[in-house]
Amino acid sequence: MDPMMLLQMLVAALIAVVVYTAIGVAPGTDETAVLAPVTLALVVAGIPLPVVLSFFMAAIVAKKLTDSIPVSVAGIPGGVMSAPMVEHALTLKREGQATLAIRKMASGSVIGTLVAVPISLFLAFLLTPLADVLGQYASQIFFLGAVFLALMSREKVISLVSIVVLAALIQALRHFYWGMGVIPEGRVVFISFFLGITIGPMMFNLAQLLVNRERRAMTVAEPKTIQIYKTEDEHKLPNPFRILTRQETASAAASSVLGSVTFFMSPVGITIFLGEVMSSWVKGTVEKASRALSSMDAVTNAAYIAGILIPLAALGIPMSPMAIGPGNAFFNAPPVLTLEQNAHHLMSFSEIAIASIVGAAVALLITYPVAVRYARQICVFVFRHIPHEAFLAMFFALVMLLAYMDAGVMGILGVMVLALVAGLLNRWGVNYGVQFMTLYAAPWLMGLLA
Amino acid sequence: MPAKDRAFLNVWDDTVSGRDLLISLAIATLLSLGGFLLAPWPAPGPLVLGISGAIVGFLISALLFRPKRRLDIEGEA
Repeated sequence: MDPMMLLQMLVAALIAVVVYTAIGVAPGTDETAVLAPVTLALVVAGIPLPVVLSFFMAAIVAKKLTDSIPVSVAGIPGGVMSAPMVEHALTLKREGQATLAIRKMASGSVIGTLVAVPISLFLAFLLTPLADVLGQYASQIFFLGAVFLALMSREKVISLVSIVVLAALIQALRHFYWGMGVIPEGRVVFISFFLGITIGPMMFNLAQLLVNRERRAMTVAEPKTIQIYKTEDEHKLPNPFRILTRQETASAAASSVLGSVTFFMSPVGITIFLGEVMSSWVKGTVEKASRALSSMDAVTNAAYIAGILIPLAALGIPMSPMAIGPGNAFFNAPPVLTLEQNAHHLMSFSEIAIASIVGAAVALLITYPVAVRYARQICVFVFRHIPHEAFLAMFFALVMLLAYMDAGVMGILGVMVLALVAGLLNRWGVNYGVQFMTLYAAPWLMGLLA
Repeated sequence: MPAKDRAFLNVWDDTVSGRDLLISLAIATLLSLGGFLLAPWPAPGPLVLGISGAIVGFLISALLFRPKRRLDIEGEA
């Protein structure tokens, strides 16, 4: 690989680390909503794929590391994936051990990353022969994936029903664009639909503000109060292997391997499951919570890294909640990438490996020491100085931009309709995985029923 | 601060003020779509300018408005 490319990868990783360290701390930021639009925009803008991949890997690792900061410092999740950890972090806080929680989680993150990168590349190597077969049945696989994720979710019935309904809406909009003549017949709009689903929950929230009754219900007299726990300052650089006991390191490593192997399952589900299993045979409140936190943080990292690397290096179709959500741009970003000709086909195995390792390494080396030393300061800075309005506005604008690029004013209207429906379904418990799989399966499914 | 600014809205897991939210949305959307439409073609130009517009919008809103959060910091009065 030529040194210019390597330099660009390093710079991209550095930018990702700075941006996603701040975003990771901000409350309520969903991984898909904050990563997917940016990655997509970078790919469509024509940035070289290894550079985007290095950016992406650095972003995940940095965000996963900093996600845990508000959990341990303020007891609020920094993202969907860290929600299951709040309970254990609160246990440590009650025991006066808030500092311990950050260290255990950050160290778990490090172990998860160190285990997941090689394991994923190895699994990818084993699974490569499957790629051709899977590629031929992509639509059917996505449909079965949607059904599988629907059956694994808490709201099974509405999830199953929504597969057909959402597919009908998506195809209706495509035919509407063709019929209005805003895009040539046969060209399939994808990006703006994907983003419409991504920011569905946020758009639904914004639409609610326009309804008098709903707005009154959302109005509060006081701003949200966030309690920042007392933590001890750390001055020397802590060694992640020394922070964890030998048993915790073993549990975290084992969880990471399992989290990598189950890359096609919902990462939140796996995280909760493995966290409970790993801590179930540990006695003592602090020990139990420490074991759960370090293992859970390791799994979330592993599940995310494996979820993107295995489909990317081996399969060529986004066959995991991670690949179909935040990492979607690597598989389908028309006109630059399509399902037949995407990052899997355009990047060699070694390019994928090098870009991932560069991204993950930069993020670990910078974010780990910063997160452990300045957890409290970062939290206070973001909470004090970055208004939630700014985040909402940026994501809203990015989606409007890409929708306009897809199909002009009609594209913006189409995305609003889709986002409203997707947001409502999300509120009812139809998760992103089901919705994204449906987006991919829609043409085949509607063709079957027509 | 006038009395009507004292009400806050719960949007996407955090509190915001309706007025600040509207202004932020307008700034970011205008800069982003404006950048896209005014940028010189060919291809990556408009998109790069559009994305930059969204990011500049983020920075402007971040400087213009204060977060609506109350911090209760242990160990600080």
